Amino acid sequence: MQKILVWDWPVRLGHWLMVGGFIVAWLTSESETFRLLHVISGATVLAVAAFRLPWGFIGSRYARFVDFVRGPRAVKDYAAGLLKLEPAHHVGHNPAGGWAIVLLLGLGILTGLSGWANYNDIGGGFLEEVHEGLAVTMLAVVAIHVAGVLTGSLMHGENLVRAMLNGRKQGTPEDAIRSARPLAAALLLAWVVAAGWWIAT
Amino acid sequence: MRTLPALCLLLVGIAAQAETPQRIGETYAAEAAGRQAGFTPSAQRGETLFRQRFGNNDKMPACTSCHTDSPLSAGQHVVTGKAIRPLAVAANGQRFSDPAKVEKWFGRNCKEVMARDCTPAEKADFVAYMNEVR
Repeated sequence: MQKILVWDWPVRLGHWLMVGGFIVAWLTSESETFRLLHVISGATVLAVAAFRLPWGFIGSRYARFVDFVRGPRAVKDYAAGLLKLEPAHHVGHNPAGGWAIVLLLGLGILTGLSGWANYNDIGGGFLEEVHEGLAVTMLAVVAIHVAGVLTGSLMHGENLVRAMLNGRKQGTPEDAIRSARPLAAALLLAWVVAAGWWIAT
Repeated sequence: MRTLPALCLLLVGIAAQAETPQRIGETYAAEAAGRQAGFTPSAQRGETLFRQRFGNNDKMPACTSCHTDSPLSAGQHVVTGKAIRPLAVAANGQRFSDPAKVEKWFGRNCKEVMARDCTPAEKADFVAYMNEVR
Protein backbone atom coordinates (compact mmCIF):
# COMPACT_ATOMS: atom_id res chain seq x y z
CA MET A 1 0.00 0.00 0.00
CA GLN A 2 1.17 3.48 -0.79
CA LYS A 3 -0.26 6.98 -0.76
CA ILE A 4 -2.38 7.74 -3.79
CA LEU A 5 -4.46 10.75 -4.82
CA VAL A 6 -8.07 10.17 -3.72
CA TRP A 7 -9.72 13.55 -3.00
CA ASP A 8 -9.91 16.04 -5.83
CA TRP A 9 -9.48 19.78 -5.25
CA PRO A 10 -13.18 20.70 -5.27
CA VAL A 11 -13.82 18.12 -2.52
CA ARG A 12 -10.96 19.40 -0.37
CA LEU A 13 -11.51 23.11 -0.96
CA GLY A 14 -15.27 22.68 -0.50
CA HIS A 15 -14.73 20.74 2.72
CA TRP A 16 -12.57 23.41 4.35
CA LEU A 17 -14.73 26.26 3.08
CA MET A 18 -17.67 24.53 4.72
CA VAL A 19 -15.72 24.05 7.95
CA GLY A 20 -14.72 27.71 8.06
CA GLY A 21 -18.17 28.91 7.03
CA PHE A 22 -19.91 26.80 9.66
CA ILE A 23 -17.58 27.88 12.48
CA VAL A 24 -17.86 31.58 11.63
CA ALA A 25 -21.63 31.36 11.16
CA TRP A 26 -21.98 29.59 14.50
CA LEU A 27 -19.85 32.16 16.36
CA THR A 28 -21.67 35.14 14.83
CA SER A 29 -25.18 33.71 15.13
CA GLU A 30 -26.30 35.96 18.01
CA SER A 31 -24.62 39.14 16.83
CA GLU A 32 -26.05 42.10 14.96
CA THR A 33 -22.63 43.77 14.69
CA PHE A 34 -21.41 40.75 12.73
CA ARG A 35 -24.72 40.05 10.96
CA LEU A 36 -23.22 40.49 7.49
CA LEU A 37 -20.35 38.16 8.34
CA HIS A 38 -22.91 35.61 9.54
CA VAL A 39 -24.85 35.89 6.29
CA ILE A 40 -21.71 35.60 4.14
CA SER A 41 -20.36 32.60 6.06
CA GLY A 42 -23.78 30.91 5.94
CA ALA A 43 -23.97 31.63 2.22
CA THR A 44 -20.55 29.98 1.84
CA VAL A 45 -21.85 26.78 3.45
CA LEU A 46 -24.96 26.87 1.28
CA ALA A 47 -23.00 27.55 -1.92
CA VAL A 48 -20.47 24.78 -1.26
CA ALA A 49 -23.22 22.25 -0.47
CA ALA A 50 -25.16 23.25 -3.59
CA PHE A 51 -22.00 22.85 -5.70
CA ARG A 52 -21.31 19.45 -4.13
CA LEU A 53 -24.61 17.96 -5.38
CA PRO A 54 -23.77 18.02 -9.13
CA TRP A 55 -20.13 17.31 -8.23
CA GLY A 56 -21.41 14.09 -6.66
CA PHE A 57 -22.35 12.98 -10.18
CA ILE A 58 -19.68 14.50 -12.42
CA GLY A 59 -16.75 14.73 -9.98
CA SER A 60 -13.81 12.36 -9.76
CA ARG A 61 -14.32 8.75 -8.69
CA TYR A 62 -14.38 9.10 -4.90
CA ALA A 63 -16.37 12.34 -4.99
CA ARG A 64 -19.35 10.59 -6.58
CA PHE A 65 -22.34 9.60 -4.48
CA VAL A 66 -22.40 6.13 -6.12
CA ASP A 67 -18.96 5.55 -4.63
CA PHE A 68 -19.92 6.13 -1.00
CA VAL A 69 -23.69 6.19 -0.43
CA ARG A 70 -24.45 2.70 0.85
CA GLY A 71 -27.50 1.00 2.37
CA PRO A 72 -28.11 0.53 6.12
CA ARG A 73 -26.64 -2.95 5.96
CA ALA A 74 -23.24 -1.71 4.79
CA VAL A 75 -23.27 0.89 7.55
CA LYS A 76 -24.11 -1.80 10.13
CA ASP A 77 -21.34 -4.07 8.88
CA TYR A 78 -18.85 -1.21 9.02
CA ALA A 79 -19.97 -0.26 12.54
CA ALA A 80 -19.66 -3.91 13.62
CA GLY A 81 -16.10 -3.93 12.24
CA LEU A 82 -15.36 -0.75 14.21
CA LEU A 83 -16.59 -2.38 17.42
CA LYS A 84 -14.34 -5.38 16.81
CA LEU A 85 -11.52 -2.85 16.34
CA GLU A 86 -10.90 -4.09 12.82
CA PRO A 87 -12.89 -1.81 10.50
CA ALA A 88 -12.72 -2.49 6.77
CA HIS A 89 -10.49 0.02 4.98
CA HIS A 90 -12.10 2.02 2.19
CA VAL A 91 -10.04 3.98 -0.31
CA GLY A 92 -12.79 6.62 -0.46
CA HIS A 93 -15.37 7.32 2.24
CA ASN A 94 -16.46 4.48 4.51
CA PRO A 95 -20.24 3.79 4.63
CA ALA A 96 -20.73 5.65 7.93
CA GLY A 97 -18.76 8.65 6.74
CA GLY A 98 -20.79 8.62 3.54
CA TRP A 99 -23.97 9.19 5.48
CA ALA A 100 -22.41 11.96 7.52
CA ILE A 101 -21.62 13.71 4.23
CA VAL A 102 -25.17 13.30 2.90
CA LEU A 103 -26.61 14.62 6.18
CA LEU A 104 -24.20 17.54 6.38
CA LEU A 105 -24.89 18.55 2.78
CA GLY A 106 -28.64 18.34 3.35
CA LEU A 107 -28.47 20.25 6.63
CA GLY A 108 -26.10 22.82 5.12
CA ILE A 109 -28.57 23.49 2.33
CA LEU A 110 -31.66 23.60 4.59
CA THR A 111 -29.97 25.76 7.22
CA GLY A 112 -28.70 28.10 4.53
CA LEU A 113 -32.07 28.39 2.77
CA SER A 114 -33.97 29.00 6.02
CA GLY A 115 -31.36 31.61 7.00
CA TRP A 116 -31.73 33.30 3.63
CA ALA A 117 -35.52 33.39 4.13
CA ASN A 118 -35.11 34.89 7.63
CA TYR A 119 -32.71 37.51 6.31
CA ASN A 120 -35.33 38.51 3.75
CA ASP A 121 -38.17 38.53 6.27
CA ILE A 122 -39.92 35.51 4.81
CA GLY A 123 -41.46 32.94 7.14
CA GLY A 124 -41.61 34.82 10.44
CA GLY A 125 -40.65 33.63 13.92
CA PHE A 126 -41.38 29.98 13.21
CA LEU A 127 -38.76 29.81 10.48
CA GLU A 128 -36.23 31.44 12.82
CA GLU A 129 -36.75 28.53 15.22
CA VAL A 130 -36.40 26.08 12.31
CA HIS A 131 -33.12 27.76 11.28
CA GLU A 132 -31.71 27.45 14.79
CA GLY A 133 -32.92 23.86 15.14
CA LEU A 134 -31.28 22.88 11.85
CA ALA A 135 -28.00 24.56 12.86
CA VAL A 136 -27.94 22.74 16.20
CA THR A 137 -28.67 19.44 14.42
CA MET A 138 -25.84 20.19 12.02
CA LEU A 139 -23.46 20.85 14.92
CA ALA A 140 -24.42 17.45 16.37
CA VAL A 141 -23.70 15.71 13.04
CA VAL A 142 -20.39 17.63 12.82
CA ALA A 143 -19.46 16.29 16.26
CA ILE A 144 -20.27 12.70 15.20
CA HIS A 145 -18.38 13.23 11.93
CA VAL A 146 -15.28 14.54 13.73
CA ALA A 147 -15.45 11.69 16.27
CA GLY A 148 -15.70 9.22 13.36
CA VAL A 149 -12.74 10.82 11.58
CA LEU A 150 -10.58 10.64 14.71
CA THR A 151 -11.62 7.03 15.41
CA GLY A 152 -11.04 6.03 11.78
CA SER A 153 -7.64 7.77 11.74
CA LEU A 154 -6.51 5.89 14.84
CA MET A 155 -7.80 2.50 13.73
CA HIS A 156 -6.41 2.67 10.21
CA GLY A 157 -3.22 4.41 11.28
CA GLU A 158 -4.00 6.98 8.60
CA ASN A 159 -4.32 10.71 9.25
CA LEU A 160 -7.65 11.47 7.61
CA VAL A 161 -7.46 15.20 8.39
CA ARG A 162 -4.19 15.43 6.48
CA ALA A 163 -5.77 13.35 3.71
CA MET A 164 -8.48 16.01 3.37
CA LEU A 165 -5.67 18.58 2.98
CA ASN A 166 -3.29 16.86 0.55
CA GLY A 167 -5.86 14.51 -0.97
CA ARG A 168 -3.73 11.40 -0.45
CA LYS A 169 -4.79 8.16 1.19
CA GLN A 170 -3.55 4.58 1.33
CA GLY A 171 -4.29 2.57 -1.78
CA THR A 172 -2.87 0.88 -4.83
CA PRO A 173 -1.72 3.01 -7.78
CA GLU A 174 -4.46 1.80 -10.13
CA ASP A 175 -7.11 3.13 -7.70
CA ALA A 176 -5.77 6.70 -7.79
CA ILE A 177 -7.72 9.47 -9.48
CA ARG A 178 -5.91 10.89 -12.47
CA SER A 179 -6.56 14.59 -11.97
CA ALA A 180 -7.13 16.76 -8.90
CA ARG A 181 -9.48 18.89 -11.07
CA PRO A 182 -8.03 22.31 -10.18
CA LEU A 183 -10.17 24.13 -12.77
CA ALA A 184 -13.37 22.90 -11.12
CA ALA A 185 -12.00 24.13 -7.79
CA ALA A 186 -11.46 27.58 -9.29
CA LEU A 187 -15.05 27.45 -10.52
CA LEU A 188 -16.21 26.47 -7.01
CA LEU A 189 -14.36 29.42 -5.53
CA ALA A 190 -15.89 31.83 -8.06
CA TRP A 191 -19.33 30.36 -7.39
CA VAL A 192 -18.96 30.76 -3.61
CA VAL A 193 -17.82 34.38 -3.97
CA ALA A 194 -20.70 35.15 -6.35
CA ALA A 195 -23.30 33.45 -4.14
CA GLY A 196 -21.98 35.16 -1.00
CA TRP A 197 -22.03 38.56 -2.67
CA TRP A 198 -25.50 38.03 -4.14
CA ILE A 199 -27.05 36.76 -0.90
CA ALA A 200 -25.49 39.45 1.29
CA THR A 201 -26.52 42.39 -0.90
CA MET B 1 -57.50 10.52 13.58
CA ARG B 2 -57.88 11.39 17.24
CA THR B 3 -54.57 13.17 17.06
CA LEU B 4 -56.00 15.85 14.77
CA PRO B 5 -58.20 17.62 17.36
CA ALA B 6 -55.35 17.38 19.84
CA LEU B 7 -53.02 19.01 17.33
CA CYS B 8 -55.55 21.79 16.71
CA LEU B 9 -55.80 22.41 20.45
CA LEU B 10 -52.03 22.58 20.67
CA LEU B 11 -51.87 25.12 17.83
CA VAL B 12 -54.60 27.22 19.46
CA GLY B 13 -52.62 26.99 22.69
CA ILE B 14 -49.47 28.25 21.02
CA ALA B 15 -51.38 31.09 19.35
CA ALA B 16 -52.97 31.97 22.69
CA GLN B 17 -49.53 32.72 24.10
CA ALA B 18 -49.61 36.01 22.24
CA GLU B 19 -49.53 38.79 24.83
CA THR B 20 -50.36 42.45 24.96
CA PRO B 21 -47.63 45.08 25.43
CA GLN B 22 -49.28 46.02 28.73
CA ARG B 23 -49.02 42.50 30.08
CA ILE B 24 -45.42 42.15 28.96
CA GLY B 25 -44.61 45.47 30.63
CA GLU B 26 -46.39 44.34 33.81
CA THR B 27 -44.38 41.14 33.92
CA TYR B 28 -41.09 43.08 33.79
CA ALA B 29 -42.42 45.62 36.32
CA ALA B 30 -43.37 42.83 38.74
CA GLU B 31 -39.92 41.32 38.36
CA ALA B 32 -38.32 44.73 39.00
CA ALA B 33 -40.54 45.35 42.03
CA GLY B 34 -39.30 42.06 43.45
CA ARG B 35 -35.77 43.48 43.48
CA GLN B 36 -36.59 47.05 44.36
CA ALA B 37 -39.66 47.67 46.51
CA GLY B 38 -42.08 50.29 45.21
CA PHE B 39 -40.80 50.18 41.61
CA THR B 40 -43.14 51.66 39.04
CA PRO B 41 -42.27 51.80 35.35
CA SER B 42 -41.47 55.18 33.84
CA ALA B 43 -41.83 55.96 30.14
CA GLN B 44 -39.54 58.93 30.70
CA ARG B 45 -36.72 56.76 32.03
CA GLY B 46 -37.43 54.44 29.11
CA GLU B 47 -36.91 57.29 26.66
CA THR B 48 -33.66 58.29 28.37
CA LEU B 49 -32.42 54.72 28.01
CA PHE B 50 -33.52 54.66 24.36
CA ARG B 51 -31.50 57.81 23.62
CA GLN B 52 -28.47 57.10 25.81
CA ARG B 53 -25.15 56.63 24.03
CA PHE B 54 -23.07 53.77 25.35
CA GLY B 55 -19.48 53.78 24.22
CA ASN B 56 -19.24 50.05 23.70
CA ASN B 57 -19.95 49.50 20.06
CA ASP B 58 -18.67 51.89 17.40
CA LYS B 59 -21.28 50.82 14.88
CA MET B 60 -24.16 50.74 17.35
CA PRO B 61 -23.50 53.22 20.17
CA ALA B 62 -27.21 53.60 21.01
CA CYS B 63 -30.64 52.11 20.35
CA THR B 64 -31.18 55.07 18.01
CA SER B 65 -28.31 53.93 15.77
CA CYS B 66 -30.67 51.50 14.08
CA HIS B 67 -34.10 52.50 15.39
CA THR B 68 -33.69 56.24 14.56
CA ASP B 69 -34.45 59.11 16.94
CA SER B 70 -38.16 58.39 16.70
CA PRO B 71 -39.54 55.00 17.73
CA LEU B 72 -42.53 55.82 15.53
CA SER B 73 -40.39 55.70 12.41
CA ALA B 74 -39.09 52.67 10.58
CA GLY B 75 -35.43 52.03 11.30
CA GLN B 76 -32.50 50.77 9.29
CA HIS B 77 -29.90 48.24 10.38
CA VAL B 78 -26.54 50.07 10.40
CA VAL B 79 -24.62 47.00 9.26
CA THR B 80 -26.93 45.32 6.76
CA GLY B 81 -29.07 48.29 5.68
CA LYS B 82 -32.18 46.15 6.20
CA ALA B 83 -35.41 47.94 7.12
CA ILE B 84 -36.59 47.59 10.74
CA ARG B 85 -40.26 48.12 11.54
CA PRO B 86 -41.06 50.83 14.12
CA LEU B 87 -40.58 49.99 17.80
CA ALA B 88 -43.52 52.05 19.07
CA VAL B 89 -46.74 50.13 19.58
CA ALA B 90 -48.68 53.09 18.14
CA ALA B 91 -46.86 52.64 14.82
CA ASN B 92 -46.52 48.86 14.83
CA GLY B 93 -49.23 46.80 16.51
CA GLN B 94 -47.09 43.66 16.47
CA ARG B 95 -44.46 45.04 18.83
CA PHE B 96 -44.26 43.57 22.34
CA SER B 97 -46.85 40.87 21.65
CA ASP B 98 -44.57 37.82 21.80
CA PRO B 99 -42.71 37.43 25.13
CA ALA B 100 -40.08 35.10 23.66
CA LYS B 101 -39.30 37.52 20.86
CA VAL B 102 -39.09 40.47 23.28
CA GLU B 103 -36.65 38.54 25.48
CA LYS B 104 -34.61 37.48 22.48
CA TRP B 105 -34.09 41.03 21.25
CA PHE B 106 -33.52 42.56 24.69
CA GLY B 107 -31.00 39.77 25.24
CA ARG B 108 -29.13 40.40 22.00
CA ASN B 109 -29.30 44.15 21.75
CA CYS B 110 -28.59 45.02 25.39
CA LYS B 111 -25.49 42.84 25.28
CA GLU B 112 -24.31 44.32 22.02
CA VAL B 113 -25.06 48.00 22.64
CA MET B 114 -24.62 48.23 26.43
CA ALA B 115 -22.20 45.31 26.86
CA ARG B 116 -24.38 43.88 29.62
CA ASP B 117 -27.87 42.49 30.17
CA CYS B 118 -30.70 44.94 30.73
CA THR B 119 -32.26 44.82 34.20
CA PRO B 120 -35.97 44.03 34.56
CA ALA B 121 -36.47 47.67 35.60
CA GLU B 122 -34.85 48.93 32.39
CA LYS B 123 -36.99 46.57 30.33
CA ALA B 124 -40.16 47.69 32.13
CA ASP B 125 -39.28 51.36 31.52
CA PHE B 126 -38.42 50.70 27.88
CA VAL B 127 -41.68 48.83 27.22
CA ALA B 128 -43.61 51.63 28.99
CA TYR B 129 -42.02 54.22 26.68
CA MET B 130 -42.73 52.20 23.53
CA ASN B 131 -46.29 51.69 24.73
CA GLU B 132 -46.96 55.35 25.41
CA VAL B 133 -45.03 57.25 22.77
CA ARG B 134 -47.31 58.89 20.22
